Amino acid sequence: MQPSSTSAAVLAAEPARDGVPAPAMRPGPTSLSIWLLLGAAIAAIAAFGFAVSDPFIVTLAGYTCAFALFALSINIMLGGIGEVPLGQCVFFGIGAYGVGIGMVKLGLPFELSVAAALVISVAAAAALGALTLRLTGAYFSIVSWGLSGVAMVAATNLESLTGGPLGLFGFSALSVGPVLLTDPQSYFFVTASLLVAAVLFLVAVRRSPFGAAMESVRQNRHLAQSVGVDVTRVRLKAFMLSAPLAALGGALCVPYTQIVTPEVFSVANTVDGLLMVLLGGSQLIVGPVIGAVIFSIIPHFLELDPNVRILIFSSAIIAIMMFAPGGLHQLAVALRQRLRRDGHA
Amino acid sequence: MHSRALSVSPAPAVAVRATDIVKRYGGVTALNGVSLTVTEGEVFGIIGPNGAGKSTLFDILCGITKPTSGAIEVLGRDVGHMAPHAVARTGVARTFQRTAVFADATVFENLRYGRHASFRHGVLGRIVGSSSCRADEQAFQERAREVLALTGLDGDRDRRAGVLAYGVQRRLAVGVALMADPKILFLDEPAAGMNGRETADFIALIRAVAPGRTILIVEHDMAVIRELCGRALVVVDGRPVVIDEPQHVLRHPEVITAYLGADDE
Repeated sequence: MQPSSTSAAVLAAEPARDGVPAPAMRPGPTSLSIWLLLGAAIAAIAAFGFAVSDPFIVTLAGYTCAFALFALSINIMLGGIGEVPLGQCVFFGIGAYGVGIGMVKLGLPFELSVAAALVISVAAAAALGALTLRLTGAYFSIVSWGLSGVAMVAATNLESLTGGPLGLFGFSALSVGPVLLTDPQSYFFVTASLLVAAVLFLVAVRRSPFGAAMESVRQNRHLAQSVGVDVTRVRLKAFMLSAPLAALGGALCVPYTQIVTPEVFSVANTVDGLLMVLLGGSQLIVGPVIGAVIFSIIPHFLELDPNVRILIFSSAIIAIMMFAPGGLHQLAVALRQRLRRDGHA
Repeated sequence: MHSRALSVSPAPAVAVRATDIVKRYGGVTALNGVSLTVTEGEVFGIIGPNGAGKSTLFDILCGITKPTSGAIEVLGRDVGHMAPHAVARTGVARTFQRTAVFADATVFENLRYGRHASFRHGVLGRIVGSSSCRADEQAFQERAREVLALTGLDGDRDRRAGVLAYGVQRRLAVGVALMADPKILFLDEPAAGMNGRETADFIALIRAVAPGRTILIVEHDMAVIRELCGRALVVVDGRPVVIDEPQHVLRHPEVITAYLGADDE
């Protein structure tokens, strides 16, 4: 269907059936509905933060928001320009190690460590992107996966900087200004606010000419080039935009994990993020957030064994790819249309 | 050199000039010494049998493929070493034979993507609703209305491009190309696979957009070439055979031989 295909996963993620409307085809939400959704999100965050008293649940929710930032980062690449960025965990790890090295080794405050990590992640994305984004599809995915392996080996062996296989731990004051991130409620409010801000920013990006350029590159890069889009530059900019979001996610996971080990560079982290994107839908801006919530809350309530969890989520992904390739929200859209049609009949 | 050319030439301005284009892929010579000059306002055809090098020539003229040797000048600029998107921004638009549209997007979004080179505002401008953002959007809406009317796609505005009929997709492809109001329009086998009705509609569309533009068409359908083109170049085996008015070109003995394959051994 799409001659400029990227990879099997991306093709599968794209709603390709004529009968089911592509999410991308619907006109973007109006400004009014965005403000309504924003109000609802803030109300939900406040209600959850104040009403739920179980500190474990609230901390898990904070961690979910942090990981959702990482999923959003992955979706800038997948939903944005149609690449599967298996190595995106490199930036996730840069964020986590930024906090680890900055605080434990250099004695910097949390905020400054995070800021440094964000800057480094953008610089790393510029350098890595210039090299790897000449590749597309599976080739890009595999090379970026390889880079995450390099990062993990480096983190394991640069003991003086990274603490080696044992990692970095023993954080003093994990706080943003006066807000202590070790307090579950504060942690949740900080990560949730940053997540909302990130989503709003991505809405603006999508509605900007740059967002249109990304979408045109994803759909048909040759045609995009012929209408004057600098394809290489758009892809690099998308990569450089995705990196600090991943780093922010990685940094904000540290108050939850309380330790930074070479495992942060594991491709399993990227795969988790990818599953969130596919669950929620890659063409919906909040899709990755929906996916992150499903991905972390459901196993907790079902008290699943980690191995069983993998089995269930793998099966779920296959089912989603078969029946709702645009993500779970597509089922809701299809249901609404069917109800409307029945109503007319 | 530039200024001298300007001072001594009273002739009509040159839109596209190719001089002695050679293109080799490894040991295969796809194009061997093709030269042509298309003046502004002309509708120019490129024809030839399959594998003759038409598409290669076409891609070289609009800057996507770089020639092994030879010079290409488009609207007075040497585009031989320019990046494809940079060539597009000099006022050159093209359509593709395959993958002609952004299939997942609506017709209207296709037109928005086509407008890319004219947008001046960035993400920040979008957030604060800057004056350039509003001006861009207004200019886009106006142009999109004109193009929708011109291409007869008013009723399909919100339909997904991928589900449109083939001929309609082709009209949309021209619409996308027209969003930048190009001075030169390259059409790559626009009528391939169209039925008679669709071809007639398409010819009418190109007639409507031709005034004030230079158009180059690669085409198999001789009816399209006859109807639209003032002159046509015939390429056979990577060589230019003849440049003339379509009715003369089609009677040229070597053209007849090449098309009927009389010499096939």
